Amino acid sequence: MLRLRFHGRGGQGAKVASRVLGSAAFLDGYNAQDFPLYGAERRGAPITAFTRISRDDIMERGLVSQPDVVVVMDETLLLDPQSSPLSGLKKGGVVFVNTPRTPFETKEGYGIEDHVITLDITKVSLDMIGQPVLSSLAAAVAAKVAGIGEKALRDALKKELSAIISEKDLLDRNIEAAIYCYNSVEPISIETTEKVREKENIISIPFETALVSSPSILSRGNTPLRRTGNWRIFRPVWDYDACTKCMTCVARCPEGCIRLNEEGYPFADYENCKGCLICAEECPVGAISKVRESHSQTKEGDQ
Amino acid sequence: MAKEMLTGNRAAAWGVRLAEVDYIPAYPITPQTEIIETIAKWISDGEMDAGFVTMDSEHSMITAAGAASATGARTFTTTSSQGLMYGFEMLYTVAGWRVPLVMVNVSRGLSAPITLGPDHNDILALRDTGFLQIHCETCQEVLDSVLMAYRLAEDKRVLLPVMVNMDGFFLSFTREAVEVPDVEAVRCFLPEYQPEHAFFRAGQPMAQGVAVLGGEFYSYFKYQMHLASQNALEVYREVSDDFERIFGRKYGTIDEYMMEDAEYVLVMTNSFSTLGKAAVKRAREKGIKAGLLRPRFLRPFPDSDIRNALKGKKAVAVIDQNISVGKGGIIYSEMAGCLYNEENRPLLLSFIGGLGGKNISQEEFDLIFDKMIRTVDTKVVEPLHLLYTENEWKGITKLKDIAGRQ
Ligand code: SF4
Ligand code: SF4
Repeated sequence: MLRLRFHGRGGQGAKVASRVLGSAAFLDGYNAQDFPLYGAERRGAPITAFTRISRDDIMERGLVSQPDVVVVMDETLLLDPQSSPLSGLKKGGVVFVNTPRTPFETKEGYGIEDHVITLDITKVSLDMIGQPVLSSLAAAVAAKVAGIGEKALRDALKKELSAIISEKDLLDRNIEAAIYCYNSVEPISIETTEKVREKENIISIPFETALVSSPSILSRGNTPLRRTGNWRIFRPVWDYDACTKCMTCVARCPEGCIRLNEEGYPFADYENCKGCLICAEECPVGAISKVRESHSQTKEGDQ
Repeated sequence: MAKEMLTGNRAAAWGVRLAEVDYIPAYPITPQTEIIETIAKWISDGEMDAGFVTMDSEHSMITAAGAASATGARTFTTTSSQGLMYGFEMLYTVAGWRVPLVMVNVSRGLSAPITLGPDHNDILALRDTGFLQIHCETCQEVLDSVLMAYRLAEDKRVLLPVMVNMDGFFLSFTREAVEVPDVEAVRCFLPEYQPEHAFFRAGQPMAQGVAVLGGEFYSYFKYQMHLASQNALEVYREVSDDFERIFGRKYGTIDEYMMEDAEYVLVMTNSFSTLGKAAVKRAREKGIKAGLLRPRFLRPFPDSDIRNALKGKKAVAVIDQNISVGKGGIIYSEMAGCLYNEENRPLLLSFIGGLGGKNISQEEFDLIFDKMIRTVDTKVVEPLHLLYTENEWKGITKLKDIAGRQ
């Protein structure tokens, strides 16, 4: 059985990617199971989704804790301890990273020991689709790695995407971009027999008083410990020559992360700006432009 | 009959569509929402013909569903977890009306703390309401059980509402290949509902669920519900035989896996039974005569089928994906009650695993088999064990630190 795990940000399409792959495998004659983990997550938060592909019955359910293939749709997740996309990856497994860097640079940069494949699918998506939607592209790369045939992938893309995209032209561009990605990745064979996981020790839980064991949080103000602004694809940039200080952007920012400088002009706290660009959309005079982030240049994402 | 990839939620929606349900009062809650969304879309696209009403809460929703059902309309509704609790009062009421409503519950642990992960404390809380309960392992089983649930609920020997249960996420959002039956075949299996007792109409005044003062009346009505629920076991045999004849899939009141010559038996319900079956396979490879028994019905409780299946077994480990605080596993208690008067009853061990969707690891299953074998040797049955690993303990310790609880 092949177990694949997708790591993306809410809104990037990890769930749809796992489904496209599941459908492609199913159409290619395999048993398949796909499953996203979401519910409480919001746009931009780390999301995981899973696909299992097998010739035999699939006798598993739930999370994939020991994947053969990991698909990292957002490079910044590699540095996120909560998401830790590489955890449990089997020896001999494959990691795909969405990055402009080469596999070698990526391996070095993040200290990855396993087989790494890279492709800047965000760029492909912007160039070929015109917007950063990664689901079909990530699915296509995964399908190639999993050895799924191109026809099955095409059919699956058509089936899954037409349920969410009504515009024919957009659908076609999505499929075209996906097939481009499919063909950009070299076929490989995955050999994962070895388990990386240590044997689990099972313990008995002792009694602890409610002072310790009730689900409340006593340490206040720990949100700054978790930066939420490292996943932007575009950042808003202000042009103070055009800005009229109308404060619309300040009022509309869903993160409340636009503040005012000494002269009363707005600026974003990029630690927490998630790059939704609502500010740019709402500015009546078009004083806010969008500038492509280049996470890959610096590990932190923000220069 | 074509197979396609469906989530448990969509499989449930297909069951409802194929049952040609008349009326659906709805209120969405994660992880059930997709059922409602799917049905709402089908209705608005004209692919399904049913009354669809969004309600202000689960309490109103269940009331509306029960009332509609009392008019003879084939009615469906669905909820999950806290929503089920919010409508809880009305579950007793609707069951007491003796109406054949079918509900799907998408299991999710109950607060506090808040979780979206599945366990069965929600559905098991309504054990005693009068609803029949069917618990599913696969997405296919969800679809098929919805169809069978209507046959069962509408049978005049039963006339009680039925709850079909599936796990949140591990079924509700998990896609696997599901065979969607033909409309015509379903019509053969499940003809239109011809109510004989339900005639609740504007032009025909009657009172449903009246006040009775005095225990002798109350006892009579309650005990009749119990007898009707017991009848459901016999009626279900006919229903499942018909289902098998038409669709080729067979579902008993219990599901038995490698049970024939088994000596050490796991008892599990719902979707994690799949993990249990894999563990049984692995144990067999090591020479342990393992098997798995999965009760599909929890109400009525299939006592005699379970007793028969466990005759001559050495040990039985019940893995409860629920916890009755202050007592332990609910299904363990049910099993103990079922087996108590048996002469050579197997030793019964109690484990709690998978609360809030926590994984049950291979090692945890290994431990269970080890404990069963040891218990058979020593005859000393240990008290219940919560399945929890050292790594998970490290995780919670870290979290407690961050929360300032240490
Ligand atoms: S893009 Fe603009 S609106 Fe969106 S979070 Fe950043 S500053 Fe706020
Ligand atoms: S909305 Fe535009 S004009 Fe108004 S304060 Fe913001 S940047 Fe300036």
